[in-house]
This record gives sequence, structure tokens and C-alpha cells, in this order.
Amino acid sequence: MRTHLKRAWTACAAGLLASGLALSAAAAQTAPSEIKIGTLYASSGPFAVASEGQYHGLQYWAAGVNKSGGVFVKAFNKKIPVKIVAYDDQSSTATATTLYNQLITQDHVDILMADFGSVLTSVAIPLAAEHHMLLIDPTGSGANFFTKKTNYLADVSIPSSTVWPLPLAHFILAQKIKRVAIVYGSNDFDASQAETLKATLEKGGVKPVYYHGVPTTESNYTVLLHTIAAHNPEAVIELGYAPNDIAFLHALAGSGLHFNMTFTIFPGQLLALMEKNVGAKTLAYTYTYPTPPLVAYPKTTLGPNTAAFVKEFTAAEKAAPNFLDAAGFNTGLIMQQMLATAPKFTQLDFHQALMDMSGKTTTLLGEFKINSHGAQMGELPPVAQLVPAGKGVTPVVVYPQDKATGKAIYPAPKK
Amino acid sequence: MALLEYALIGGILYGIFFSLVGIGLNLIFGVMRIINLAHGQFIMLGGFGAYMLARGMGLNPLFGIPLAIAGGIVIGYPLYYGVVPRLQKSQDPEMLSFILFFGIAQMIEAVAVFAFGADQRSLPQDALGSGNIGVLGQEFPDSWWVACLVSVLAMLGLYLYFSRTRLGFATRAIMADRDEARATGIDVDRVSAIALIIGIALAGIAGVFVPYLIGSVSSSIGDGLTTTSFAIIIIGSLGNPLGTVVGGLVFGVGTMLMQTYYSSWSNLAPYALLLAIVLVRPSGLLGRAVRRA
Repeated sequence: MRTHLKRAWTACAAGLLASGLALSAAAAQTAPSEIKIGTLYASSGPFAVASEGQYHGLQYWAAGVNKSGGVFVKAFNKKIPVKIVAYDDQSSTATATTLYNQLITQDHVDILMADFGSVLTSVAIPLAAEHHMLLIDPTGSGANFFTKKTNYLADVSIPSSTVWPLPLAHFILAQKIKRVAIVYGSNDFDASQAETLKATLEKGGVKPVYYHGVPTTESNYTVLLHTIAAHNPEAVIELGYAPNDIAFLHALAGSGLHFNMTFTIFPGQLLALMEKNVGAKTLAYTYTYPTPPLVAYPKTTLGPNTAAFVKEFTAAEKAAPNFLDAAGFNTGLIMQQMLATAPKFTQLDFHQALMDMSGKTTTLLGEFKINSHGAQMGELPPVAQLVPAGKGVTPVVVYPQDKATGKAIYPAPKK
Repeated sequence: MALLEYALIGGILYGIFFSLVGIGLNLIFGVMRIINLAHGQFIMLGGFGAYMLARGMGLNPLFGIPLAIAGGIVIGYPLYYGVVPRLQKSQDPEMLSFILFFGIAQMIEAVAVFAFGADQRSLPQDALGSGNIGVLGQEFPDSWWVACLVSVLAMLGLYLYFSRTRLGFATRAIMADRDEARATGIDVDRVSAIALIIGIALAGIAGVFVPYLIGSVSSSIGDGLTTTSFAIIIIGSLGNPLGTVVGGLVFGVGTMLMQTYYSSWSNLAPYALLLAIVLVRPSGLLGRAVRRA
């Protein structure tokens, strides 16, 4: 009897030992040799400048983490190098659709990250959901992306269009501007910003005197500006991508028209590009949303603060970063923290890790706060006016009051 | 009423400029029956040429015009003798040219990205005048008028070339029938090479004004300009360069009217017009009338 018991215990112990060894072996096998991050960038087309900036920021982040042995992955309790698998979509949604599909089904990337902006992100959202992959969305903010609860979308580096224009709307109301013209690009990004802006203004008793969309490819605003001027607006808000903003500001400068307030988006993201194209004189006294590094977040809970990032990036890349560089880097940081906290290496655990970070994390772009629909509710940029400084212009934050660095010069002086 | 007037005058100015944008493409098709899918890229090169002169050397962008003519010679002559005679000998030169020039377009775009990057480039706002000129009380920037004037002069020059010079007569003879022209002793290759040079030069000249009319020039604007040019020349009359003027005016006025009254659909206007005209009059608005002349 005792011999039988002894044999049984020995067998159990051997079994446990064997299964333990097998489990460890399995765990070691499933830890990948590298974390594959699949993304797209545009080397040409209307989104190229912004897209390349975002991609550059991501590459800068990846180089930094790989230098220190990779990212810590909690699921495997070890550091693993990251590898970026990236293809060029040439700013084409059709090409982007094929390439996102390739990243998911052929390259079997571990993390899927969208290209710049709402237009090139829009085609990735249904694909990611279909394949049950979490889409890390750096700069796609279209309101209609975030209409229902999802585990497969997270907007990480730009506020959702449902909240983004709120400071602008509140500023217009605070300035007691009654006649507002809104012209916007007919795409997810601009149209949803325009809708939010219009709704908020109307709630405050201001019904826009002009509210029209233009094609995303619109490049001539001369006749349109004349049509807008016929409505006698005090403020003209143009919501477009960088090429639209350049064409709009050029047309405004050449038209001889003057409005008390003019607002465009991209001077706040790509100030150097806009200054180079339209000149400081044209930009002077216009308004924009200043984004980091034009505004700085000195206190962060994750990664360097804005000033430290600018210093490190400039030293490494021999060029000062713009917002898109910062957004690409910030996306890397968020993914890094996600991998460091997700208990299992699954897409659902990645999503949960992001939800757990939400509201408790501040990065160089501000507070990271996403809702259950994947929309970024934090990182809200203020409203700034570009004022002449030396040969260029510099943003002066004019709203909200607690962040203001100066007072708005309203109405804008004639040039 | 003032809005309508503004849209009509703006549309005419814009349309005259876009006649220049499309006319080179139509000339090349009319003479050689080849489809130059790189047309928009040649316009883009004209824009970058003016940019380099203005920003790099501090010259007025109008010096881009002689540069575009020189560029037309440097590119057009070898391109013709290297490519076109071989294409003409093939079974289906139109389709082959389609593919070949698509490749050339991609190459030019890639080289432009390499040389200039992907970002937008603009010319000094006041280089063509910083004021506005009014007609019937409607004012437009000086740059629009200069672009319009140069377009008119370029098209007038082309008209005089066709109607007053031996080379122009020979070109029209080739446009009517290439084989018959050759049989009558016309040096078809020489005349066609000159037509290709003129076509590319006109595209380059249009490019000089692109940054003023569409805000900026970038390496990726070529394909869009080629598509617009196609719409314009088909509206006017494919193969008839002077029909392009009518096509351009229809395009310009249609676009500006749409932009004034229903801006969301403004880029649909030229293609809706194209569809309607192709259905009603497949040879284009000036198709038959000019061919008889």
C-alpha cells in the first residue's frame, strides 16, 4: 500500500514538473522575437507633409526604445524590440485599404496603427473591427468614427472632432461675435468639426450666416471668399487640411477683403510650412488651435514633457519637431505603456490597458482620456492668435482664460 | 446679381487660364494621337521652375516662361525621337502611349518628390502685383489678370502659328491625316517634334501661374491637373487645340457658378458637364465646325 502511494506521489510530482516545464516552454515560445507595429504613411499627395511628420515621430520613438533593448511587455515579462512594418499609401484611401489589409492578413502585425488624419484612418476602422484588431488611431478625429462602443479603436494623439472645436465656439461666444461664416472641407475631419462648431454656436444663440462645405481637394477660394463676404460675417472660420488652408489664406491675402476674425487649423500644427507658403504678413492676427510644441505641457506622468521632447528630438534629428512629429512620438509612448500594463498579449487586453490609462495619464500632448467609443476627450488645444514677432508670427493663447498668455486683438487690424 | 456677376467674370478668367492648362495636351493628341498622361506633371515642373527662380534666385516668376520654353525643348525633342516614332509603328499607339506616359508621369513625380519634397510651395504673393483690378465693379487679384493675359497671348500665338506659318499649315495637315501629310512631302517627324515641344512648353507656362490660381504647387498635383485637362479638352473637342478654349471657359464658369451657389459640389461640375456634352455631342462643342474649317 505504502509502495503504491509512494509511486502515485512520484507520478503526480513528475506530472506537475512536466506540465510546469511544458507551460514555461510554451510561454517562451509565444513571446515573439519582435513586436511588429504595422502602419502606413504617405510620401506623396495632399496628406504627405503631415503623414511623414507623424511617421517620423513614430520612428524616433522606436529608435529610442530599441536602443534600450525594446519595450517591456508585461504579458511575457521581458523587453522585446519593436519593428515597424510600414507601407506608402500615397494619400490614397483605395491604396490604404489594400495596405491595411496586407498588414493584418499577410504581415500579421501585433499592433495596427493608422496613417495621419481622418481621411486615411476612415478605411482602417471597419477592417480592424472585422479582424478583431485594436486600431491605434493617432490623428483621425472624425466624429462618426466614435458613434458606438468598441474594443477595436482608440484615438490617442488628437481630440475627437466632437470636442475639439468647443474652445473655439466658446471663444466666439465670449467675444460676442454674432455673424460667423463657416466653410469646411467635405470630409470626416472637417465636416464633423464644422457640425460641432455650428451646434455649439447655435446653442449660444449664434446662427452662422454662411455654412457650406467644399471638396477636400478645393484649391481656389477667391470666388468663394467673395460669396462669404456678401453675407457680412465678422468671423470667417475655414476648416480644412494644410493645402486648403494655404489656398484659402493666399486667396484672402490677394482678395483685398478683410474680416475681424479669420481662423484656420493648420498654422497651429505646421506653422513653419504655413509661414513659408503664405508669409507672416498673411498669417498675422489670424487665429488657430496651437498644438504642442507651440503650447507646452510641463508636467507629465508618462514620457518627457513637451520642452524636454523638443530638446531631445532637436538634438537627435537636427531639426525642431512639429505637432505631427510629437503626435507620432506620443502614439509610440501610449503603445509602450499599453504593452507594459496589458496582462495578456491580446487585442482586448491592449484595449483594456488603454482604458485603464485613460484619465490617469498626462503626456507631452496633455491629458490622455478616451471614452468607450474610442474617442479622445482630452488633449484639447486652446485658441490662439498669431501675432507678429520679428520676421515671423508667434501664437498668443487667448482662450480659455486659465491658459491665456495674452488678450485677443479684436477686430484684427487691416494689413 | 453681384454674386452672379462675380462668379461669371471669375469663371471666365479662371476658364481662360484652364484653357492654357489643357491646350498642350490637346495639341499633342491632335498631332500625334498619343495620350500624354504626364501632362499634369509637366505643368507641375513649370510651377517648380518658377518657384526656383523666385525663391532661389530672387527673380520674378514670369522668368519661368522662357524657362518653360527651354524646358519644352530640352524634354520634348529627345522624348519625341526616343519614343513617338516607335509608338506610331505599333498596332495600338493610343493605348501604348497611355501606358508609357503613365510611367513617365510616375517617374517625374518621384523625381519631384526627391528634389522638392512632398510639401506645398508658393510664390511671392505680390510678384505679379499686389492689388486688384476691377471690371464692372468686380475686383480680382492682379495675379489672375496676369495669368489670363499670358494665357490669351500664348493661345493667340498658337493660333497665329497654325494660321500664318508654314510649320503651322504642316501641323494642321498632320492633324487631318498623318499618312497623307507624309505623302505630300511634309517632314512629319520634325513637325510633330515641334508640336510636342510646344505642347510641353505650354504646360510649363501654365505651371508658372498654378501657385497663384490654385494656392501652391506640390509634387502630387500632376494627376489632378491631367484629369481636369482631359475634361476640358473633351468638352471643347478632342484633337482640336482651339476647341480647348471653349472647354476651358465652360469649365471655369461652371466651376465658379457651382462654387458660388452650391460649393460642396463644385468639383463635380466639370465632370457632369463632360458627361452631358459627350452624351449630346460626342465630338465636343467645337468638334465638327472647326474640322470643316
